[in-house]
Amino acid sequence: MGTVSLESFRADVERLRAEAVAAFAAAADEAGLEQARVEFAGARSGRLKAIQKLLGGLDGADRPEAGRLFNEAKGTITASLDAAQARLSGAAAEAAAIDVTLPGEPFRLGHVHPITQTIRRVQEIMARLGFESVDGPEVEDQWHNFEALAIGAEHPARDPLDNFYLAVAKGADPLLLRSQTSTVQIRVMEQRKPPLRIVSLGRVYRPDTADATHYPMFHQVEGLLVEPGATMADLKGVLRFLASSFLGGDVHVRFRPSFFPFTEPSVEFDMEWGGRWVEMGGAGMVDPAVLAAVGYDPAEVSGFAFGLGVERIAARRYGVADIRDFYRNDVRFLEQF
Amino acid sequence: MACQPGTLPYRRRRSDRLRLLLLIPGSERLMIISTNWLGEYVRWDSPVDELVRRLLMSGLNHEATWEVGADTAVDIEVTSNRPDCLGHVGVAREVAVLFDRPLHIPDPRPVEAAEPASSAIAVEIVDPDVCPHYTARVIRGVRVGKSPAWLADRLRTIGIEPVNNVVDVTNYVMMECGQPLHAFDLAKVRGGRISVRRARDGETFRAINHKDYALTAGMAVIADAEGPVALAGVMGGAESEIAADTVDVLLESAQFAPLVVRAAARGLVLMSASSYRFERGPDPAAVDWASRRAAALIQELAGGEVLSGVVEAGSLAGGRATIDLRAARVEEVLGVPVSAGRQAEILTGLGFVKEAACSERCRWKAPSWRRDVTREIDLVEEIARIEGYDKVPEDRPIHAKPVEQSARERTIRVAGEVLVAAGMCEAMTRSVVSEAFEATASPWTARPPRRVSPALVRGADRLRRTLLPSLLEACGHNRAVGAPHGDLFEVARAYLDRDGGTGNASPLEEPLLVSLVTGGAYAKAKGLAEGVVRRLGGAVVFRRGAFDLFTPGRAAEIVLERAQAEPVRVGVVGEVAHGVLSRFGLEGPVSAAELRLDLLEISGSQPRKLVPPSEFPAVQRDLNLVVDQGLAWAELERAIRGTPGVESVLEGIALEQVWEDAERLGAGKKSLVVGLRLRSQTGTISSDDSKRLVDGIVASCGKACGAVLRG
Repeated sequence: MGTVSLESFRADVERLRAEAVAAFAAAADEAGLEQARVEFAGARSGRLKAIQKLLGGLDGADRPEAGRLFNEAKGTITASLDAAQARLSGAAAEAAAIDVTLPGEPFRLGHVHPITQTIRRVQEIMARLGFESVDGPEVEDQWHNFEALAIGAEHPARDPLDNFYLAVAKGADPLLLRSQTSTVQIRVMEQRKPPLRIVSLGRVYRPDTADATHYPMFHQVEGLLVEPGATMADLKGVLRFLASSFLGGDVHVRFRPSFFPFTEPSVEFDMEWGGRWVEMGGAGMVDPAVLAAVGYDPAEVSGFAFGLGVERIAARRYGVADIRDFYRNDVRFLEQF
Repeated sequence: MACQPGTLPYRRRRSDRLRLLLLIPGSERLMIISTNWLGEYVRWDSPVDELVRRLLMSGLNHEATWEVGADTAVDIEVTSNRPDCLGHVGVAREVAVLFDRPLHIPDPRPVEAAEPASSAIAVEIVDPDVCPHYTARVIRGVRVGKSPAWLADRLRTIGIEPVNNVVDVTNYVMMECGQPLHAFDLAKVRGGRISVRRARDGETFRAINHKDYALTAGMAVIADAEGPVALAGVMGGAESEIAADTVDVLLESAQFAPLVVRAAARGLVLMSASSYRFERGPDPAAVDWASRRAAALIQELAGGEVLSGVVEAGSLAGGRATIDLRAARVEEVLGVPVSAGRQAEILTGLGFVKEAACSERCRWKAPSWRRDVTREIDLVEEIARIEGYDKVPEDRPIHAKPVEQSARERTIRVAGEVLVAAGMCEAMTRSVVSEAFEATASPWTARPPRRVSPALVRGADRLRRTLLPSLLEACGHNRAVGAPHGDLFEVARAYLDRDGGTGNASPLEEPLLVSLVTGGAYAKAKGLAEGVVRRLGGAVVFRRGAFDLFTPGRAAEIVLERAQAEPVRVGVVGEVAHGVLSRFGLEGPVSAAELRLDLLEISGSQPRKLVPPSEFPAVQRDLNLVVDQGLAWAELERAIRGTPGVESVLEGIALEQVWEDAERLGAGKKSLVVGLRLRSQTGTISSDDSKRLVDGIVASCGKACGAVLRG
């Protein structure tokens, strides 16, 4: 025989349930609710726990029903506690609420110069085709800046007024600030054997009065490929790949004949940009004389080269009307890129 | 715009244009076509726009088009290899080939008198290297007056103001065939004798513009019995110019050496349409044609009697090249075939002559006006530009190839990433600076800066040996305009004169630097420099140093310790001296650093290997150590790290606080609160362990630095 009847157990459970629900609902703050929680649902000496202990005193036959009653009541009490907790913490949250539109904690992020960004973009695109970035000295000798590039002694490009020559001791070999990065291509070709795919990049210098579209110091990116059987069609394909990757979409490339001492045939290349043809740079097949000057056999390999003025592309890309802005280093300018 | 920065060099230099513009009003336009005039040689039956487009796509860039009365002027840009297109006939030849139309070139035959020109004038070339070929023709009894409308109009269309019928004819023929001519008043040529020679140093000459010029031996003159009457190829003399009372005309048509003409034009800053053409080398065969053409026109417009023949010295220079062309070569270069028949059609139209019947390989003789064409590849280019580069496909696949980023490239990027993350903006400043910027010593060399000529911009003619003054100037600019900050860095080269200059090494060394300038005291710039160095994987020490730019006592040299070599200075850091700051309109504190990226280059391509973070808890201990005021932090840190058993568990070391208080610490002492974080890879550090470690640290700091633990 059990010591507790099912009926009295049912009555106890029901009373407990009603009182617990009322107490939780009545709690006015978190401290009051905690007090009620300990009283009714405390893990060690709560009233729910006490009632659970009564289960052992019931007849074996009544236990399933009593267990069901207990679980049901426990579920209700837990849910009512949760609801009360949610109600009270909502109020607390409201009290602790902030203006979420207040400014975030400021921190300063630096910026990479737009010229550098433009150069890196071209480098990255060319790297996909296997063109390795190379650099070389900015102060050059006449061999690398002129002679190896088939710019002979009589060429007007060598005029002292058109170059930044260094003061040198009498009798010493003339030196100058390089007027194009093709000098680096010559240096690489002198040291390596074909096949070769490189982009040379960096500062170049030409006397010019600074104005909105000219600056006596600027940046060039020049590509060079030397392989057996390279053709102008390959050149056009590479430039179109560059143009499409750089500008996005399917960009067309146009060649116009031009003249450079170190390429033959020589062309200017235009890209379709914003619905019109924009002059991007010069290009051509490497002149056989240039290949021979660096010890390559023009019968075995051919090559192409192209050059881009970085300032011009960057100016167009970023809507910079005056390229001198690139060198003013005004943080209000630099922070926009 | 004619030539913006970055095109491959030497198409036409903008500076040419500028200089000409300054010297000769209206001369910035170097080759203008009158379409009426062009129509005299060829008919193209298309609107001007189409003409311009076809010329553009075959090598004559279009600058502008405008109407002049009933005529149209087209300004074209002619590359330096195509002097033949510096005259209407040359352009007409291109048009004839492009539009497949016949070309009509007149064959002028002046009616000559019986008296030979040699009875009126003698010609001698004294220095053949300045003038390979000189011809003189004589026209007696001209009536100098106004040119007829057709001639004056054509000259006006192309921007040349008419002068008189004789001078206008010489200009007209120059702009027709590209061969400059000069007409002298024969009566003013003293001694009946012309000699062509180098000028003598100190010789003077009054040009048509009535200015006097002092000549040098690098220039050439046309002299009569008494002295120069023209500056060869550049400008005639005032004394012998054609005037209203001129009766007899001496007509010069000659070839002059391009370098000599250029030396005179540039040396005297006296550029002309004539010098521009001679510098590029007109068709040698045009000497005779132009002379006949001008004589016939003068005769027609000004009357007079053309004496028989020319008085000639030297001879027609420059042989015509013969070139073998393999038909298959065209496709090998262009990547697209052009039939042998079409190849021949193009070359023939351009004036090349096929020497014999041929199929796969043909021998061609270049026309006299195309001395730029000497090799097979040149013929390929002629075929390509006329056939049109639009025929070259743009969708030929190109195969990818693996490529590795160079160590230098990675180093530059890593250094930049660190500084950008720290809130710095990348600057770009000029490599060539003024004397004031280079007045202070460079951290990198005791040798003076190299100089360039001309100056990059006004006053800037020194190759910089440090980037710091340039960055300080930029920082000052930001201060002046009220920018949010002026914390800048730059990656660029310095240019150092190499001591001695041994063997084949370049006479200059160009170290790659990263420099930074930031508001804040020494520790700000040092922290940034340390960040860059750490990220690059270098181990450096800071040693007190003295540098011109920095406040004495508040600067250090950064020294890289190397495994198999002597330690080397890789950087400097310091607080910028007040005197320097005020020069750039700055107020302190401003600190700066400069690092040699070339010496700090990331070595090897192996990525770093992971050290797994310890799973065990860390122990934090703060030590309050009292030391002598003069003790360097680095010494204390070395003592801590050097304590036995510490290195393997020392996760972090920080200087939390520094204070001095003579009363509480004693005179000449300071207190350093040092935070230590200890953590083991192999187990939890027990309180006994940590006590033993801390005791050891205190003991070793006491021994090495005289440090005493306080409280």
